[in-house]
Amino acid sequence: MKTLSEMTHYEMLEIPAGSPLAEIERAYRVVQSSWATDGLATYSLYDEHEAEAVRERIELAYRVLSEAETKEEYDRRLEPSESEMDLEEIDLDLQFVDETVAATSIDLLPTEIEAFEDAADEGTDAEWTGSRLRRARLRRGIDLEKIAEVTKINPTYLQFIEQDQFEDLPAAVYVRGFVVSFTRCIGLESTQVADSYMARYREQTLESRRLMERRLRR
Amino acid sequence: MTAATPPHLPRARLIAVGGGKGGVGKTFLSANLAHTLVSAGYKVVAVDTDIEGPNLHTWLGVNSPRTSLADFVSGRENKVEALLQETPYSGLGLLAATHGDLAAAQPNAARRAELLSALRELPCDFVFVDCGAGAHPATIDYFLVGDEGLLVLHPEPTSVENTYTFIRAAFYRRMQLAMRKHDVRECVREAMDQRNDRGIRSPLDLLRAVEEMDPEEGQRFSKTMQAFRPRVIVNEVASTEDIKLGFSVRSVCRKYFGIEVDYAGYVNRDQAVRTAVLKRKPLAEVHPGSDAAVYLQRIAGKLAEAASKAGPSR
Repeated sequence: MKTLSEMTHYEMLEIPAGSPLAEIERAYRVVQSSWATDGLATYSLYDEHEAEAVRERIELAYRVLSEAETKEEYDRRLEPSESEMDLEEIDLDLQFVDETVAATSIDLLPTEIEAFEDAADEGTDAEWTGSRLRRARLRRGIDLEKIAEVTKINPTYLQFIEQDQFEDLPAAVYVRGFVVSFTRCIGLESTQVADSYMARYREQTLESRRLMERRLRR
Repeated sequence: MTAATPPHLPRARLIAVGGGKGGVGKTFLSANLAHTLVSAGYKVVAVDTDIEGPNLHTWLGVNSPRTSLADFVSGRENKVEALLQETPYSGLGLLAATHGDLAAAQPNAARRAELLSALRELPCDFVFVDCGAGAHPATIDYFLVGDEGLLVLHPEPTSVENTYTFIRAAFYRRMQLAMRKHDVRECVREAMDQRNDRGIRSPLDLLRAVEEMDPEEGQRFSKTMQAFRPRVIVNEVASTEDIKLGFSVRSVCRKYFGIEVDYAGYVNRDQAVRTAVLKRKPLAEVHPGSDAAVYLQRIAGKLAEAASKAGPSR
């Protein structure tokens, strides 16, 4: 544990040392909103003066790390002192029971938030596109890999389904089966979703077949 | 959740649900996460330790529990298993707390320790302990012994404030228990009072003070800090802004306490929750497809995952 002045710029932004520029942008936005003026999260723990000091440090960290040149120089200076945290097994001494360590992370991913804003669209009759399926899956926090494991469907096909990449998918009868298993796996009304998805699949594959034939005739 | 595998865990995993303020949804989450895990095939026991305002039984459709925690506290019954009530849901047991003699109801520390080790021996996969409101030492102890400590908060200043009060109390209590030397323990105890004479104002000040007193204890202190990892759940979110509160609390706890807090998930504000409680049934029994039920499933899935990762070595 360190004081504000002891923390590295990376620690201020809560990312591993040496993180790439894109990661710095993302992390800065998250941390900045956490410490916003009059923000809910600092309430009662920090007074305005202390919170301002943290905000200034966050800004400084961002200024240094968001420019390739200054970042490079900072990374060079940081290198020798930076070491991995000591995470060895912990010897605990609770009086009342033997203690076990809750060390497994079960943190939310930022993608799971984006999915919240689309939560309302599940109940409607709007058509089921690949991206709507993806959002429904993300809301439930289920990985594609896990679905592949349960349904025994090749994960690449699941990806194609979510990306509406119809041309790379097999024949309609298989795709329908995939969509049914996929939706059942995330707890959606599978027949309705599959009907809606397959209507678009047929329409678009028919369209592309027509285009192809026209081109061949020329 | 549908994608999880519900095999049986070698030993009951204790999940404590706390979080300072009353009315933020601790009992709602205890009952409904327990019920969600039961639906996924796990065996679960829900324990109500909120002796002064018990209503976990109501969420689980048990109208007037015949046995309760009070029977264990008073010594009328020494086998916790004998106090379990059946609920209408197969695989879900209840250890209720009922209104009785309030003065006699709160167990002393030794009896509490007996209770907690008995809970771990129950033949089930998960034990949910609904801790009740406030940051009373007994409540804090229930929270600390959990394999998981879930903190429920509402997106509003009063709840955020009480959550920090709770984390602060739990943090200092945890650290005090981890220290072995008498004088260091005393120092941690005094530091709990923010206006202490030692000039210790923050967890960092305390760490430095402990390190100075005894380097070995200092090491133990920082290791214990790393293992102290409460999970936050934001309940009744109504906007993306509300959801982000979980990430913000995580960031603030990192910088203030120097601890990792996981953001385990959120549940939306949902009319379905109200209609379910009016029917005195778990949400998924009444509105299985509601958004809130989906979010509960997601959190339950994470708890199941963490449990399976913790492995049989325990």
